[in-house]
Amino acid sequence: MNKLILYGILLLVYLGLSKSLSPGEYGIRYINKKEDLIDLIPGQPVSAILADMHSTGFLIKTYYQKYKIVYGFQSYEELIVRTSSKFSDSLRPYLGMSVFRRHADTGEVSYTPLPPGSIFIGDRNYGNWKVLKNGNKTWSFFRVYRQLPTYLGWFDFSPSYAVFLKISSHEELDKPYFGSNDEFGLKGSITKKAYPKYFERQIPEDINLKTFIKDYLKENFIKRESL
Amino acid sequence: MNEIFDKLLIRILFTVFICLALFIYKYAHILFYPSKKKQILKTIYPSENYVDTLHLFSRLIGIGLIFSTLEFNEYIGISISTFHFFVWSIIGIIFYLLSIYIMENIIFYNFEYKDEVLKKKNGAYGVVSFTSAICLAIIIKMIFQESENSIIILIILWLFSLVLFGFSTRLFKYVSKLSFNSLMLQKNIGLSIAYSGFLFGNTIVIISSFSHEHLDIGPYLIQVILKALLSILILPIFKYGINFVFKINESKNQGLEEEVNHLGHGVYFASVYLTAALLTSIIIAQIHFGTIYPFF
Repeated sequence: MNKLILYGILLLVYLGLSKSLSPGEYGIRYINKKEDLIDLIPGQPVSAILADMHSTGFLIKTYYQKYKIVYGFQSYEELIVRTSSKFSDSLRPYLGMSVFRRHADTGEVSYTPLPPGSIFIGDRNYGNWKVLKNGNKTWSFFRVYRQLPTYLGWFDFSPSYAVFLKISSHEELDKPYFGSNDEFGLKGSITKKAYPKYFERQIPEDINLKTFIKDYLKENFIKRESL
Repeated sequence: MNEIFDKLLIRILFTVFICLALFIYKYAHILFYPSKKKQILKTIYPSENYVDTLHLFSRLIGIGLIFSTLEFNEYIGISISTFHFFVWSIIGIIFYLLSIYIMENIIFYNFEYKDEVLKKKNGAYGVVSFTSAICLAIIIKMIFQESENSIIILIILWLFSLVLFGFSTRLFKYVSKLSFNSLMLQKNIGLSIAYSGFLFGNTIVIISSFSHEHLDIGPYLIQVILKALLSILILPIFKYGINFVFKINESKNQGLEEEVNHLGHGVYFASVYLTAALLTSIIIAQIHFGTIYPFF
């Protein structure tokens, strides 16, 4: 019994030391709720786009999220955080969308999942509405902010005034909005174009046992060219 | 042909130089062990006292092991490479003899060389001393390779490894039923085999703990501590696993002489401990996880 207690204590000491001394733990913050992003993302106006999700580990998984932090007056930054399984799953449908934003004037924070860059659409400091031939209005950034659509991963997305109104109403109701044609989010066509790495990882690897064994034998047992 | 003869000559010169280094070792040995001055300086008759032979030649094997890690790089110049070999062989000799001195004071704190070897001809003492000297040589060889010609790192690693090895030797009473002091007095060979397996096992674990990428001494030593701690957790699992798989019953067999009992137990303990240590080294040193940081 004493040996078991000693073993348990040693196991705890090992886990404690590994946790506090392991270099893998340095520099990556842990978040398990959306409010935790407030401390990690400074400045305003700012929009955090969920750019990628990833998990490591065989039996006990560690979950990571990558955010693209897009500011109004500077280039974007990337933020990688560790998360809980629950939090990771809760944000999975909103890949490629803005899941955190802090407004410029009020500093008000919103977590409603919206198309990326929603915070800049309709803000006269960044652009204006252009009237198209058919009478519809579309958002256009000023020349100095011409890089913003690239940072936001918009591709051919051109927000209309109707989309702007939808965004505003969904933000007020705290209800996710995936775009007029569901272009954003996990199933969105623009998200798939903007963040292809995530989708590439989801394709199951096609393993042919025969080819695998053949390649393995060839690499390990059959004479190489250098011999 | 001239080039071949030249290279052969250089090799012979280096061989003579290594013999010279052994000569230095002989006198350095006297400095550390003044009581053995007579044994070292006079002609040695190996068959006279096999315990003393074992004791003396274990150190010779050890110094050979340490020297085997040193290199001559003729392309940097014969004089420079010879000087380099000379300096590092002296350092090796000093560290090795210091290590033996410290460890013998830890392991044989109740025993005297003169009494056990010269008077009693205690075979158990000789075997344990032999193993201890070889294990220390293996450890010093490893830290020589890890220190990469840095004397500061060598000192740090030497102290660190010595603490680990010294500490590990004190754990014998927790892992074996054999009583070291009383059986050593009885010249019990079973004990010496068990303790030798224990020392070799610990050496394997310590070497495995040191075998990882060495960029910065701080994080490197932290990893060594963590690996050593992990080995304490893994080794008993293998030990109990072997006992379980092979249905080993450690209890004494009635009717057998105690000496036979101890011998069998010693062989069993040494084998199982050594096997468990070797298997533990796979777990702590040969499982590679790659980078933890998510590059995605």
